[in-house]
Amino acid sequence: MRVNGIPNVRTCIAPLKNDIKVEIQGKYANLPDAKFKENPVKTIDIDILVVGAGPAGMCASIEAANQGAKVLLVDENPCVGGQLIKQTHKFFGSKHEKAGTRGIQIAKDLENELKELEKKGEVTVLLDSTVIGYYEGKGKKYKFGVLKRYGYEGILHEIDCKSVIFAVGAMENMLLFPGNDLPGVYGAGAVQTLMNVYGVKPGDKVIMVGAGNVGLIVSYQLLQAGIQVDRVVEAVPIIGGYHVHAAKLRRCGVPIYTSYSIKEVYGDGKVEGAVVVKLDKNWQPVKGSEEKVDCDTICLAVGLTPSTRLLSQVGVEMEFVPEAGGFVALHNNSMQTTVKGVYVAGDSSGIEEASTAMIEGKIAGVSAALQLSYDKKAKTLKKQYIAELERLRDGPFGEKPRVAKNKIKKLLEKKHV
Amino acid sequence: MKSKADVVIIGGGVSGCSLAYNLARAGIDVVVLEKKYLSSGATGACGAGIRQQWSTKENATLAIKSVKIFEKLSKELGEDIDLRQGGYLIIIHDDKGMKQSEKNVEMQRSLGLKVDILEPKQINDIVPILNVKGMQAIGATFCPTDGHANPFKTTFAYANAAKRHGAKIYTHTSVVDIKLNRNKISEVKTDKEPIKTNTVVNAAGVWSKEIAEMIGVKLPNIPFRKEIMVTERLKPMFEAMVISFKDGIYFSQQMEGQIIGGIPIPEERSGYKIIPTFSFMKHMSKTLTRYAPVLKHVNMLRHWTGFYDVTPDARPILGEINGVKGFIQCNGFSGHGFMLSPMVTKLLSDFIVEGKSSDILESLNLDRYKDKKIVKEVSVVG
Repeated sequence: MRVNGIPNVRTCIAPLKNDIKVEIQGKYANLPDAKFKENPVKTIDIDILVVGAGPAGMCASIEAANQGAKVLLVDENPCVGGQLIKQTHKFFGSKHEKAGTRGIQIAKDLENELKELEKKGEVTVLLDSTVIGYYEGKGKKYKFGVLKRYGYEGILHEIDCKSVIFAVGAMENMLLFPGNDLPGVYGAGAVQTLMNVYGVKPGDKVIMVGAGNVGLIVSYQLLQAGIQVDRVVEAVPIIGGYHVHAAKLRRCGVPIYTSYSIKEVYGDGKVEGAVVVKLDKNWQPVKGSEEKVDCDTICLAVGLTPSTRLLSQVGVEMEFVPEAGGFVALHNNSMQTTVKGVYVAGDSSGIEEASTAMIEGKIAGVSAALQLSYDKKAKTLKKQYIAELERLRDGPFGEKPRVAKNKIKKLLEKKHV
Repeated sequence: MKSKADVVIIGGGVSGCSLAYNLARAGIDVVVLEKKYLSSGATGACGAGIRQQWSTKENATLAIKSVKIFEKLSKELGEDIDLRQGGYLIIIHDDKGMKQSEKNVEMQRSLGLKVDILEPKQINDIVPILNVKGMQAIGATFCPTDGHANPFKTTFAYANAAKRHGAKIYTHTSVVDIKLNRNKISEVKTDKEPIKTNTVVNAAGVWSKEIAEMIGVKLPNIPFRKEIMVTERLKPMFEAMVISFKDGIYFSQQMEGQIIGGIPIPEERSGYKIIPTFSFMKHMSKTLTRYAPVLKHVNMLRHWTGFYDVTPDARPILGEINGVKGFIQCNGFSGHGFMLSPMVTKLLSDFIVEGKSSDILESLNLDRYKDKKIVKEVSVVG
């Protein structure tokens, strides 16, 4: 799309303003005709760069700044909070990690802490800003390029830092089936954003694909928004999410079909219905079990893949760990990768939950500060956080991340005896 | 893996693959060894330009003959290589540049090339988005049959055709040593199995130096990191490659609408570093928008690096090493390997198959550096 004479603007994420001129540009963009403001490159020299202002990144920034390090926190969204700002449900888990509090409230609490630190000049937050790449640094410093957007224009920032924490989260998985590109097929994250951040109904009748926690919680949130959830289909024979979320849905009359999936989605220009099908134990469709279901929305909650592109650009060692959701950076219990001074936290270090992401963020923040010799009881805190993380993973639902993190640990030991 | 071959080519870039094709077609039993994947080195990172406007007669001749081959290559190999002949527009900025251009054009025309010297006002007829004043242009040369092709498609088309003629290509296979027997090549050791052979072609690009060192041959080649970028897609505006020897910039618009181009950063030093620099991003966007101010607001999408395998005279090292029978060089292209590959590999193939040498091969032998009076190629960009 073209906005105010600037081509190739992603209008789905661009801010809406009065009197803007939005045009469809077709396959090829015409040349820009807007006046260009010559904005010189800004340079920032900082102790620690934190990429991603979700639960992990916010906690990492707060911890590192509390130790005395100067922190730059960068996020591509217009506000901090990451996925927390969509999470209207109460959290489980440890009391330390805000159990019983709603995600949106946790985001607000952390934002307020960040604001205090910003006032003191300990933390700088760059929003609407994308880390576009890793470049050759001077001496022992790491260099990154950041593009900060102002409306439909941008200013390039050259960032030099002694340490970097990647808390970049994850990307939603897509399923392959005919019609998966029809308008009305959404990822669960997009549905949550529309409903819970912008107050927009994504549709009127939804089929949810995936009965993990995300699928179950978003289904309930759809019901809360007055949207009909026809059913939840889940390819594996069991419900993956917490029983309490599943039970809530069943009490509202939403059936959960295990060993079922979507065969195809049909419709003229938009979703008008889907064919659901039973799967046998080899994940193959059972012939004759196809059922046509009318609906206008398909919501995919079929897992996440860690976002690791910046990590691999930096050159940290990566391994494929299925339980972690895909390729992940090998890291130790300080959350440091195989490159000194480069840390990882949250979903980008292996898919888990917001509560563990927050503690991982704290560990990474404290460790990064400690490595730069900022130490206000840092060692004690670090020990405490590591113990807390282990406790949080101790339950039956912590099994998968436990397996993932143990694999990562073993792979790291094998490579660096 | 085969245990012996007539010829072992080290390097699966465009040169290695096109030589394999030429040899296999002539009935030679040929093996290509590539340590990563085909076109993983300079070929896959290159700007894909095909230029005939050179300052040395050898390069111009090789390029002119290569274009003749490129023009028929899609048909010959049975796969489309996306050749487009939109010409090369070389910007001239000062009297010194004009004098050199006049000399070059005279030589190029003597070889039968159609090339013109343009007035500043004619520049926008070829590329409308250029700012003649901003470029400080006093003229330009233009050769309409220059152009570009897809380096991946070209390499794979050559490789597939070579395989159809019986060549074996082993990727993810590194050469670890080369054995001699009485100053004759006898065996190539790989990280897998060894291959007995009497002829090795060193087409390993920037790693050719390491290969030659395995048998004690010292090549003067120096690796230089080069950076290149691609913008988002725009409607088709021009077909020519724009270059300047003075500013070092080159850029063209691809058929899919994106602009691909590069420029050397002022502080660049030699070495094997592959990490991109922030400096390039600044330098490239500054120079590109001085040449074509309408490109402001257009985003750079990606930016990557590759290597130039640079020789002291910026010309390739070709042919057999004196004193090491069967050790043949096909390297040192100094940033111009892709565009010269069709003809260079044909000459090398003729030499290997029939023992037929040529003036060009002789003049580009490593031995030329013994002579203090080497002729440097000055028409270099990137």
